[in-house]
Amino acid sequence: MNPIVTQLIFEDCEIAYAITDRELVVVEVNGTEDVFDQASVGRSLLDCVPEMVGSEVVLSEILDGFLPRFELAWVNRETPQGRTLYLNMVDLPYRDERGQIVGLLHVVRDVTEAGTLEQRLTQHRNELRLLRDQLARQNLELEAANVELRRLDEMKSIFVSVAAHELRTPLTSVSGFVEVLLDEDLGPLNETQREYLEMAQAGAERLLHITDSLLDVTCIEAGRIELVLQPRDLASLVQAVAAEYAPQVTARAQRLTLHAPPDLPAILCDKTRTVQIVGNLLSNAIKYTPEGGSITISLALAEEAGFVRVAVADTGVGISSEDQPKLFRRFFRAASAVQTRAYGAGLGLFITRSLVELHGGRIWFESEPDHGSTFYVTFPISDSLA
Amino acid sequence: MPVKLSKKVCLLGDFAVGKTSLVRRFVHDLFDDKYITTIGVKVSRKTVVVPSASDVVELTMMLWDLAGCAEFDQVRASYLRGTAGAVLVCDVTRPETLDGLRSYVDDLLGVSGDAQFVVVANKIDLIEHQQIAPADVEAVVERWDVPFFLTSAKTGEEVQRLFRHLGRRLLFRG
Repeated sequence: MNPIVTQLIFEDCEIAYAITDRELVVVEVNGTEDVFDQASVGRSLLDCVPEMVGSEVVLSEILDGFLPRFELAWVNRETPQGRTLYLNMVDLPYRDERGQIVGLLHVVRDVTEAGTLEQRLTQHRNELRLLRDQLARQNLELEAANVELRRLDEMKSIFVSVAAHELRTPLTSVSGFVEVLLDEDLGPLNETQREYLEMAQAGAERLLHITDSLLDVTCIEAGRIELVLQPRDLASLVQAVAAEYAPQVTARAQRLTLHAPPDLPAILCDKTRTVQIVGNLLSNAIKYTPEGGSITISLALAEEAGFVRVAVADTGVGISSEDQPKLFRRFFRAASAVQTRAYGAGLGLFITRSLVELHGGRIWFESEPDHGSTFYVTFPISDSLA
Repeated sequence: MPVKLSKKVCLLGDFAVGKTSLVRRFVHDLFDDKYITTIGVKVSRKTVVVPSASDVVELTMMLWDLAGCAEFDQVRASYLRGTAGAVLVCDVTRPETLDGLRSYVDDLLGVSGDAQFVVVANKIDLIEHQQIAPADVEAVVERWDVPFFLTSAKTGEEVQRLFRHLGRRLLFRG
């Protein structure tokens, strides 16, 4: 081959080489300063190419003709200027005209350009792998925390449920015996005795209401509430609830009005739970409306097709804008509840919302402090007539 | 006159366990928090003086810092030829890097059956993120009957001791 062409190929492909004798002493070089220079001639290949230290056995296998080639890819080498070179090294037997192996041909190809790209790619790949592994670990930790939280929540629900059950039985007895005394079945009562017994009965009823609410909450959370859905006349149910609460309305000199159009279709609902929903809303309206105020219950077709809407409006204290987003949370007590000293555990609206949603309806409200509140619930219309 | 020897020592382990940082700490006593992936192999050298019963040996360790990622599995065997010793590195914040050591040991012993090696659990400075306990490392190295070191390339803890220990193993067992 034309030596000029050979030289051009070496330069273009950034190839350098060294030829050694059988003692690995360099006898000829061709290359750039970064790899080989003329000062390499006469020195051991192992001194010129530190990467070959430790490969003496391999090199002697090549010299002995047992190994045709030995390659080291992507050898990193730092230049005195701090630049990283990437080199591919190949060792081959160097033969004379008779074919005898008289030394080694050590060929070095500068692949810095490709190496730099490969390094960047690998770097990005590894960084992504690290992130992926980190995310997987965090995910596992979150999952474990979640399982633990669920376990604790379950334990809490069981505890609340058991405690509420245990409280309910003696409370029912207390309430029953107080009622017997108040009915004067065991003899007449004086005024003070009656007053104290009525206070005891009111307290027992409040506690019963709270234990019932706690039991409802645990059932809701455990998904254990079952509805017996039947077509019902909503107006009749609401009238029954209004009648039940009439003594309280009268005691607070409030006015309760019911608007129910006669042609309202039947709804599909669980009777007990519907009474509970309307009762909760009416009870709240009574509690938060000052004496002499008014409460209006209106029934109508809802704006969304297939639903009937109940609206319970009062002229009470209203709900502050700060409290409004938290109103349906468990155990949340609005500032107005504290102001008006209304009793309760902050579970009523949580239970009401859950029951409404179980029916497939929805609940919302409009309120302005000192201008009253209106709570709306919807129930699905039954396909068949009651 | 001290006896002079050169030995090839490879650093093996998954990517980003701190192989390059361990070499940098041992050779230059430097550390850089920035992670830079090694591709291929980077060779450094460091001479340690190892006393023996009759001689003082100047041992030059040719430290082969090998790429840890799977993309270089194919060429790893050629890097391992002629290896006298190895440092198997895992990262105490990534348990999978401890599990991965077994395949590196298989690669090493497959090419250089009599190579001496030690196991290193690196990054012990990251206490809050530590996921591997010394007992975990002990359980893994038991099968090879080799010593292990808990190191921090960042603080330098145990780094010199591990390489010196390996140096002595290379001279007296290799």
